[in-house]
Amino acid sequence: MRRFKVFILIALCLCIPVLVFAAQTGQTKKANSIDELAKMYDVSSCKMCHEKIYNEWAKSLHARSIYGPETSGRTAATLKTTIINGLMEWPHSGVKKPEDVKVEHLMICAKCHLPQLQDATDKVAQEIVKNVYAFTAGDEKAAEQLEKLNINCLVCHNRNAIIHKWADGYPEKDAVYGSKDGAHPAPMYSKLKKGPVQKEAILCGQCHGLGPNFELENPSQCATLYGTYLWAYTAEGGQEKCQDCHMHKSGLGHNMQSYRSKEMQKLAVDFHVEVLPHWWRDGTKMIPQATVKVEIKNRAGHAIPDG
Amino acid sequence: MTGKTKDGKEIFKQSKIYMPIPQQNGRGDRMGRGPYEKSGMLRDTSIPPHKTVHETFDIAFPMEDVKRGDKIEKVIKSGEMTVDVELWYLPYGNKQQDPFLWHKYTKDVKVTTTGK
Ligand code: HEC
Ligand code: HEC
Ligand code: HEC
Ligand code: HEC
Ligand code: HEC
Repeated sequence: MRRFKVFILIALCLCIPVLVFAAQTGQTKKANSIDELAKMYDVSSCKMCHEKIYNEWAKSLHARSIYGPETSGRTAATLKTTIINGLMEWPHSGVKKPEDVKVEHLMICAKCHLPQLQDATDKVAQEIVKNVYAFTAGDEKAAEQLEKLNINCLVCHNRNAIIHKWADGYPEKDAVYGSKDGAHPAPMYSKLKKGPVQKEAILCGQCHGLGPNFELENPSQCATLYGTYLWAYTAEGGQEKCQDCHMHKSGLGHNMQSYRSKEMQKLAVDFHVEVLPHWWRDGTKMIPQATVKVEIKNRAGHAIPDG
Repeated sequence: MTGKTKDGKEIFKQSKIYMPIPQQNGRGDRMGRGPYEKSGMLRDTSIPPHKTVHETFDIAFPMEDVKRGDKIEKVIKSGEMTVDVELWYLPYGNKQQDPFLWHKYTKDVKVTTTGK
C-alpha cells in the first residue's frame, strides 16, 4: 500500500513540470511569418456561425489595419514613409536600410494598427517591410498579404479584451470575451467569458489615441480622438459610448465607419446658414453686402476631424 | 464659401480649415505631418464635440465707376448674387484625393438698386 502511494507522488512530480512547460511554450512561441501570425489569429472559423458580423467587420478599416482604405492603401504607404523619413533618418534608431527594421521599430505604429505584432519575431517585421515596398511598387499580391494581418475578432474579443490585467487577469487562450459567462460552441474557443470593458469606451480608447505615445523609445502620435472624447465630450457631460454611436445608432454593427459613410455623415454635424443682404453706410460711402452666417454643430462624441 | 454674380463670376472666395495641428517632435513652432514625427499639439481648430462653431462672412456686391457729369461715382454693378456654402471633409487636405461633400447650401439674394 505504502509503495503504491509513493508511485503516485512520483508520477505527479513528473507530470507537473511537463504541463508547465507546455503552457509556457504555448504562450511564448512567436510567429515567424505573416502566414503564421495570421494563423495564430485566424478568424475564418468564426464566419461559420457569426456570418453577418463577419461580413460587417470585413468592410471596416479594422479588417485592413496595416493596409488602410481599400482604394488607397494609405496606411501601408505611410509605413514606408515612416521607414524612409523617420527610422532611416534618425541617427540612433539602428535603422540604416529597410532590412534593419525590427518588430520594435514597427511597434511605433503596430501598437494600435497591429498589436499582435508583439507575438511575432523580427522575421515578420521584415516580411511586412518587404510587402510594403512591393505594394508601393504596384504589387497586388503584396497588398493581399498585408491585408491578412488586421484587427479582427480575436483582437477585440480576446487579446485586447482585458486592459487591466492585474485586476482582471490575462485573457484566456480558449475563451472569447463578450457580454456574459458561459459555454461557446467553437472548437478552439470553448469558453464564453464576460469581458469587463466590452461595452466601455476604453476598449476602443486603448487604440484611438490620447497624444504622444510616451512608452515608446521614440514617441509617435497618430489618432488623438480618445483624448477629445475624454476631455471635451465626457467633460461636457456626454454619456454615450463609442459602441452606442458607431455600432448601434448607425445601424452598422461591426462595420465601424466614419466620414466616408452616409450613415455617419448624417450623425456628424448640424449645418445651418443664414444670408442677410443689405446696404451698409459709412458717412458718404454706401456698401451693398451680403452677410453670411454659418453654424456648424458637432454631434459626435469627439472632435471632428481627428488628426 | 463663394459669392458669385449672375454671370457666374466669382467675386468672393474664402475657406476655413478645421483640424488639429500637431507639433513636430514635441518642440518648436513647426507642424508635424507623419504619425512618426507628431508629438503634441501646436493648435487645434477642429470642431469640438457638443459645441457650435459660428462663422460670419461679409461679401460686398461688386461696384463700378460711372461718370456722371464731371464726377465719377461708384455704382452697384448688379444687385444679385448667388451664395454657395459647402462643408467638405478632406482626408488628404485637398479635393483631388478622396473628397467628401458633407453639406451644401445655395441661395440667390438681392439688394435694392434704387433709393437713397
Ligand atoms: C459553432 C458555432 C460558432 C463558432 C464557430 C463561433 N461562435 Fe461565437 N458564438 C456562438 C454562439 C451560439 C454564441 C452564443 C452563446 C450564448 O449566447 O450562450 C456565440 C457567442 C459569441 C460571443 C459572445 C456574444 C455576447 O453575448 O456578447 C462572441 C464574442 C463570439 N461568439 C465570438 C466568436 C469568435 C471570435 C469566433 C471565432 C474564433 C466564434 N465566436 C466562433 C457560436 C459560434
Ligand atoms: C495610438 C494608436 C496609434 C498609433 C501609435 C498609430 N496609429 Fe495610425 N491610426 C490610429 C487610428 C485609431 C486611426 C484611425 C482613426 C483616426 O484617424 O482617427 C489611425 C489612422 C491612420 C492613418 C489614416 C488611415 C486612413 O484611413 O486614411 C494612417 C495613414 C496611419 N494611421 C498611419 C500610422 C503610422 C504609419 C503609424 C506609426 C508611425 C501610426 N499610424 C501610429 C491609431 C494609431
Ligand atoms: C474593434 C473591435 C471589435 C472587433 C474587431 C470585433 N468585435 Fe465583436 N464586438 C465588439 C464590441 C465592442 C461588442 C459589444 C457591442 C455592444 O454590445 O455594445 C461586440 C459584440 C459582438 C457580439 C455580440 C453582440 C452581437 O452583435 O451579436 C458577437 C457575437 C461578436 N461581437 C462577434 C465578433 C466576431 C465574430 C468578430 C470578427 C468577425 C468580431 N466580433 C469583431 C468589438 C469588436
Ligand atoms: C486594437 C486597436 C483598436 C481597437 C481596440 C479599436 N480600434 Fe478602431 N481603428 C484602429 C485602427 C488602427 C484604425 C485605422 C486603420 C487604418 O485605416 O489604417 C481604426 C479605425 C476605426 C474607424 C474608422 C476610422 C476612419 O478613418 O474611417 C472607426 C470608426 C473605429 N476604428 C472605431 C472603433 C470603435 C468604436 C472601437 C471600439 C468598439 C474601436 N475602433 C476599437 C484601431 C483600433
Ligand atoms: C455621440 C456619438 C459618437 C460617439 C459617442 C463616438 N463617436 Fe466616433 N464618430 C461619430 C460620428 C457621427 C462620426 C463621423 C464624423 C467624422 O468622421 O469625423 C465619428 C467619427 C469617428 C472616427 C473618424 C474620425 C475622423 O477623423 O473623422 C473615429 C476613428 C471614431 N469616430 C471613433 C470613435 C471612438 C473610438 C469613440 C469612443 C472613444 C467614438 N468614436 C465615440 C459619432 C460618435
